[in-house]
Amino acid sequence: MLSFLTARRIGVDDPLRLRRAESTRRVLSLELNHDRDVDRIHGNGVNTLDIEVIEGRYMLSGGADGVIVIYDLENNNKKPQYTCKAVGTVGRSSRHVHKFSVETVQWYPHDTGMFISSSFDKTMKVWDTETLKPAEVFHFEGNVYCHHMSPVARKHTLIAVGTKDPKVQLCDLKSGSRIHVLQGHRGEVLSVRWSPRYEHILATASADSRVRLWDVRRASGSLFTLDQHNGDKSKAATEAVNTAHNGRVNGLCFTADGLFLLTAGTDDRIRLWNSASGENTLVNYGKVANSSRTCLRLAVSRGCSPEFVFVPCGSSVAVYSLHTGDLVTMLRGHYNNVDCCEFHPDYQELYSGGKDCNILAWVPVLRQPDVEDDGTAAGKGGQQAAVNPAYVDAWSSDED
Amino acid sequence: MDSENRDRLSELVEELTTSGEPSLNTDKMKEVKKICRMSSQYIEQLYHLIMTQLNQEHAEIRLSAFHMVAELFSRSHDFRVLLVANMQEFLELTVETDADNPLPPPKEVAQKMKRLAIQTVQSWHATYGEAYKKLALAYHFLKQVKKVDFQDVEGRTLAERRRQEERQRRLQTVYKEKLDKAKSEMEETCADIEESLTEMHSCIELLLPDPDNFTMCNLEPGPSSGGASVSSGGPARSSSREDDTQPCCSQDLDKQTIHRTDSDDPDSKVEGDPDRSSFLRNSGVISHKYSLELNISTEVNVQESEDNEAVVNNIRDLHRLISTKHLPAVKSWIQVFTRAGGEEDLLRRALDLRQSLEGALEKYKTLHISQNRQRRVMCADESDDDFEEVPEREDFEPQVLDDLRAECGQEPLISSSASAVTRKPPVQTAAKQTPAIPGSSRAKRKAYDEEQDPTSAAATLRVLKQRLPTSVTDKCEASGSSTAPTKTSQAGEGQKAPVLPFGIDLYYWGKEQPTAGKIIKYSSQHQFWVPNEVEEEVVNEELSAQMKSRCITFAGRFQPVQHKCNAPMPNGALCDRQDRFKCPFHGKIIPRDELGRPTNKEDAERLEKEKMKLQEEQPDWRDPELMREIEAATGEDLGSSKTFGKGKKGSKGKGKKKKYPNLTDLKQSANTSRARLEKKVFNKSSMRRVTEVMNKMDRRKHEKFANQFNYALN
Repeated sequence: MLSFLTARRIGVDDPLRLRRAESTRRVLSLELNHDRDVDRIHGNGVNTLDIEVIEGRYMLSGGADGVIVIYDLENNNKKPQYTCKAVGTVGRSSRHVHKFSVETVQWYPHDTGMFISSSFDKTMKVWDTETLKPAEVFHFEGNVYCHHMSPVARKHTLIAVGTKDPKVQLCDLKSGSRIHVLQGHRGEVLSVRWSPRYEHILATASADSRVRLWDVRRASGSLFTLDQHNGDKSKAATEAVNTAHNGRVNGLCFTADGLFLLTAGTDDRIRLWNSASGENTLVNYGKVANSSRTCLRLAVSRGCSPEFVFVPCGSSVAVYSLHTGDLVTMLRGHYNNVDCCEFHPDYQELYSGGKDCNILAWVPVLRQPDVEDDGTAAGKGGQQAAVNPAYVDAWSSDED
Repeated sequence: MDSENRDRLSELVEELTTSGEPSLNTDKMKEVKKICRMSSQYIEQLYHLIMTQLNQEHAEIRLSAFHMVAELFSRSHDFRVLLVANMQEFLELTVETDADNPLPPPKEVAQKMKRLAIQTVQSWHATYGEAYKKLALAYHFLKQVKKVDFQDVEGRTLAERRRQEERQRRLQTVYKEKLDKAKSEMEETCADIEESLTEMHSCIELLLPDPDNFTMCNLEPGPSSGGASVSSGGPARSSSREDDTQPCCSQDLDKQTIHRTDSDDPDSKVEGDPDRSSFLRNSGVISHKYSLELNISTEVNVQESEDNEAVVNNIRDLHRLISTKHLPAVKSWIQVFTRAGGEEDLLRRALDLRQSLEGALEKYKTLHISQNRQRRVMCADESDDDFEEVPEREDFEPQVLDDLRAECGQEPLISSSASAVTRKPPVQTAAKQTPAIPGSSRAKRKAYDEEQDPTSAAATLRVLKQRLPTSVTDKCEASGSSTAPTKTSQAGEGQKAPVLPFGIDLYYWGKEQPTAGKIIKYSSQHQFWVPNEVEEEVVNEELSAQMKSRCITFAGRFQPVQHKCNAPMPNGALCDRQDRFKCPFHGKIIPRDELGRPTNKEDAERLEKEKMKLQEEQPDWRDPELMREIEAATGEDLGSSKTFGKGKKGSKGKGKKKKYPNLTDLKQSANTSRARLEKKVFNKSSMRRVTEVMNKMDRRKHEKFANQFNYALN
């Protein structure tokens, strides 16, 4: 740390380097911390989380009971203990609440005054954050599994919507109507993602175990389909040609720079693809338990030197190194299946929501201030005792 | 880190967790703690050991492991950290948070553990919840997601609670229905019951008037006593009030006593004076010296008679009605009322009803109504004669009367001859004569006992009576009892003689057979050719013997086999076969002791030799080792253990020893009749047999319709 600081100061290093090193260190020390809590509002499983990118202050969560909650993540009280308070709730009592489980929530990428939610009640609602009333409601024929709005788009305001229907719907916020469909999938579309690099590139994952990349300017068809065998016909059975997974593909995530695409399937695999060529990088992450029937939300760290990927895996969150596929750690804290996780790029914090109604904040553990050498063992003991009586062993004397 | 300590630790954990006891052994636990105190490494090892035990599919092991966890959790911070890090699994294994992963059997222990675990988590949360975030999360998870009510001792989740409530509600409605039904039923039948109760009471009143209603004059027996013929059961029945057996004042007795004076009874001789009869008439006692013992038992015996027949019938019907209909109904109402709760006055009423019904039944029982249907039917017309005392006369032929009575289907009056043989004081005679009162079971038994005694006259009489129907002439001859024995013996011989079919030997029985065995050869019928010597008659000895004798096949009498084979069988029992000479399984039957060992030495030696020979003769392929292997591979029983394993087993010990004898055997519960049947029905060979038969049937059908394309196709 000190060497990084010196190097930074004398200008040897790229300024990014210190930042990267420190964020990596922080990510590696993520832990369930009793200093940070998130209000328990949801009475049912938490399906989706989203943190806005403008301030990085507000977080949206959508629950399986249709409730949407906005949390304030910023700690202003200058104490390590902080409970993220809910600043706005679309509760069951609200007139506009989603009837069924909210599957996806997303902030409008350019402003926190608006957010979009989609639900199993076959609607997608565009909400006004101030009044918590829907400004626009889109109706669909089937359950809406997923929607996404491009975070970098300047020239269009399209929302890609994956529904039970194999056609990917494109809704335009400008006109408030569904303007386009992308045809190509043969199963329900479980996940859609815009590329964070090119505003017209869209990736969609479907239950027909294929992942397609589209250029929305070209309506005739997809750019290409990801193939797990990279076109090697001999390895693939005839029906498995051009499939990304051997099961439903329900997780989709671009890396922050948009160069790579991560997919997760119910064949308990995660695959990393080159998003430009569609080539399978063949990184082996091992077996990642995935039995979710709906969209699974992965998260990728940002600004670390080896990037990390956070994957909900059963009742824990698995942290993998992105390019090597090594399992870094398992974040165990939930008592039921984890559905989503969201990485806070500014503070290197991770928020995860699960079926046990909890939203857990994984906060980097700060290094304990080093004790001076002249501090004796007695002082150490006294300090330990001062920390918490619960941490002290309580061996009774009768054992001797 | 000492390997010795490590081993000791794992040993202790295994011992503690497999003890099967509801609580831990404190000494061993102390030792564990002592080891753990030394280093946190031991704690880590212990944690892993305990988690392994917690994963066992046995609730008792898990419970013990859980106790250990609870002990250590409060002691060691390291242990807490380790456990809290793996709280999910811990809860899954103890509180059954995962529905796909239920707690293992036995059920009661699992329930106990669950309750305990929930309470413990709560207490942990209270003490350590601040410090360990995951513990707090676990508590909230249990509380909010699993909806565990921590106040509820049962530790049920919401679903369970709801199910219970549902069941309760269903039961309530059922009870309500039952209650309504019972209420309406009660209203309907209550009047009936009360009516029958009053009827019963009045019947009892009629049969057994209340002592308060008695007046002294009523003691004099007669029809005035309400038709009730009540006799108190006692050895001396002189107090009996039967109107027909008035022992004290009947003129029959007069005659009797007169007669008695003729006999040389010293007692009666004393009173030869003329006013004896007047004394007799006044007192009913023949002699002054008699001391009269009255043994009045408190229990009453109501005898059915002509007069009270209707009442008795009625009471019997009522008894049946009450005991079969009313009482069960009332009992079921009470049950319903108590179960459904509320309706206290109804319940009280039902209880009252039950009490009075039971009281009535009790009273009925005390009446001891003796049944005497037969008499009533048979002798309804001549009941008067029945009870008449027969005067004793020396030259009287009682058999005639007996005969008559026998025809009536009754036992004969034995009074006359009995008194003739055994001279007794008249009062006693009278007492004795009471057995003749038809219908009294006690009297009957007495008579029977007397009959069994060969020295008594009754026995002789019985024999006579048996003979009566057979020969008419006997009747007159049998007037003197002296003749009876000869006749009896003759009859006995006649009974012994075998009955044979009629044959030629019987035809000529006791006569000379003139032509027996003789063959007459006629001379030649030729005109002039005559054989020179003609023996006209030839006596065939064989034939004549045949004519005179009779062939009776004597097969001997069948004697059932008393002994058993008793050879020891593999299942430990003794062979139960009862063959006469040779058991098909164990060879010649020889005397054996109660353990099945031959008692004779040479027998034992012979058996031993045979056994050796048999084992030597076993072909190679029946080598028990090989067979056991084949059995293990194929899963079919070739009988290796049955025939040859015996010797091996003995040397090996008692087969496989149970690993943890203290734990409840989970497999034992599988040994139900259903499981055994399943084993039989679903075992491989029987399944194969069944499929074979079914295939055959299918094939037959195909063959039958092979040339009809629409059948052949499917």
